[in-house]
Amino acid sequence: MTYIEVDGLTKRFGDTVALDDVSFEVPAGEFVIVLGVSGSGKSTLLRTLSGLLSPTEGEILIDGEPMVEPRPEVAMIFQQHNIIGDMTAYSNSLSGGVHRSGFLSSVLQLQDEGEKHRALDALDTVGLLDEAEQKARRMSGGQQQRVGIARALVQQPNVLLADEPVASLDPGSAQSVMDYLRTASDDRDLTTFCSLHQVNIARKFGHRFIGLRDGEKVFDGYRDDLTIDVIDDLYGDIDTEGMFVRDDGDADVPTDEVATS
Amino acid sequence: MTTDTTDSDGASGAAAAGADSAADVPNRITEQFENIKRTRRRRALGWTGLLAFLAFATLQAFAATELLNPDARLETFTDSLTGFFPITNYFGVIPFLDFGQYIEFIRQENLLYDPEIGGLLFQFPPNPVDIYAFFFRELGIFQIFGEAGITLAMGFVGTVLGFPFALVFGTLGSERVTPFPFNFIFRGTMSFIRAIPAIIWTLIFIPFLGLGPASAAIAIAFDTIGNLGRLFVDELEEIEDGPIEAMRTTGASKPQIVFFGMLSQVRTAFIAWTLYIFEINVRIGVTVGVIGAGGLGYVLTSQQNLLRFTNMMATLLAIFLLIISVELFSQRLRSRLRSDDVEMGIWELVTGFPRRMADSMLK
Repeated sequence: MTYIEVDGLTKRFGDTVALDDVSFEVPAGEFVIVLGVSGSGKSTLLRTLSGLLSPTEGEILIDGEPMVEPRPEVAMIFQQHNIIGDMTAYSNSLSGGVHRSGFLSSVLQLQDEGEKHRALDALDTVGLLDEAEQKARRMSGGQQQRVGIARALVQQPNVLLADEPVASLDPGSAQSVMDYLRTASDDRDLTTFCSLHQVNIARKFGHRFIGLRDGEKVFDGYRDDLTIDVIDDLYGDIDTEGMFVRDDGDADVPTDEVATS
Repeated sequence: MTTDTTDSDGASGAAAAGADSAADVPNRITEQFENIKRTRRRRALGWTGLLAFLAFATLQAFAATELLNPDARLETFTDSLTGFFPITNYFGVIPFLDFGQYIEFIRQENLLYDPEIGGLLFQFPPNPVDIYAFFFRELGIFQIFGEAGITLAMGFVGTVLGFPFALVFGTLGSERVTPFPFNFIFRGTMSFIRAIPAIIWTLIFIPFLGLGPASAAIAIAFDTIGNLGRLFVDELEEIEDGPIEAMRTTGASKPQIVFFGMLSQVRTAFIAWTLYIFEINVRIGVTVGVIGAGGLGYVLTSQQNLLRFTNMMATLLAIFLLIISVELFSQRLRSRLRSDDVEMGIWELVTGFPRRMADSMLK
């Protein structure tokens, strides 16, 4: 069953064409990785999917409804996490669900108990239950990103969009954040879009891959189709050796959980 | 001047180089050197012109302020200064500033401490009825500080009453909250309030609340809306888009986006600015006192009218003490708010003081 349908999506900023006639269909529950070099249109694609940007041409249907403005069932995770540094991890997590409560009750944190348990449950999912009372500003980059994931989960979305969630993290934290993202997505049966730079992480975590170059879709396929030639094509002339980890290589080595904080 | 130095430097440098290898200096180097020399000369001319203009304008301003041929009375001034600083001879011979006169006036007029109110609190053995009376019947927390307390209370009430309005006007005045032409309704209102100084607002409120601390406090509250609101608007210009976008994607309502995405980014800054405005408001409390609204400012002006310069100086000392204390308090609080350190408890604040002081001195 098709859940997300993108048809002829084009986005222009003035003369710059960020997305050029991109079309694809994604069934519910897939974990899609969007690949491409900087400036290839990954961010624009995700931001348009989230409703933060509106398409110049074409249409995005999520659950049959056109995406024209942000909706609670589509959550987004950002590279710079965009959580609120002055608030605790718990308050940040709780702020994902404010669309379900009125202004005063959300400001004074007077939501019902179920809502608050949901926020703690989301923090538990990303392994931060014990740090719930910590100020977000005092947390490490990886922890802050996980708070961002928790906030997105409290939103109770059907679709999770992650715009380079691990680009500013060290390799260890990147691994663990991706692990949490993947687990959350599987457990809650979310359709997930995640844009990435790192090809080896992409191969390790993705079901399906969409490759962008200069705003055009140049690749769309599943794990087995993602060959070294495809990567070469995506990343152009740069030396891709070492970016590509084969299945018999260390891609299946257990995640290094140590370097998360 | 500048041009001259450059020229002679350049000339001597060129001469020195020329002695060794005049033929070796390629054309493009001399060309570039000439270029630089020309640019510097032009710049020096520009600066000289600017300075000359500034001097000319200053002269005109002097004329307008009658400073060119002032009506100076140096003798009267020195007389008043001796009044400001009364001298007494200790042990009959050593001339020294007579602090006793200051302290006498400060006590006599209750500038810093009101014994009638303070007596309720400080007595031995403590009397619970009086202590209750102090806090709840006399409402003495500010009044215990006498005239200084009145001035302090004017600044405090002004800040407290002005803050919510400043918050509303400042937030609605931001272009990110209210779209462009409409945010100027709020910014314009604040500009209008700012255009009129607090002392004039006091004059405006006198028919309403009479000449006294009440109209002064309301005037300061008004002034706070203009000034603090403006600081809030400016602070809101600096915030990042990220958290706002993040709140938009959660499907939050517009007021929720403003509160969680924007205001929560500037909460610390807003508190710090409010403390800063509180400092300024206490100072304004002195100023509006001068036109008769009460507090230290009023004592100052009445003593000035009586030409009692010693008493005036005593009042100035009290003002100095009040302002410095408020500033110290607010600055410590602000730096604590802004720092990422774990906050110290009151107990540690007090007991750890000698060690911290020693640490600071050894640095």
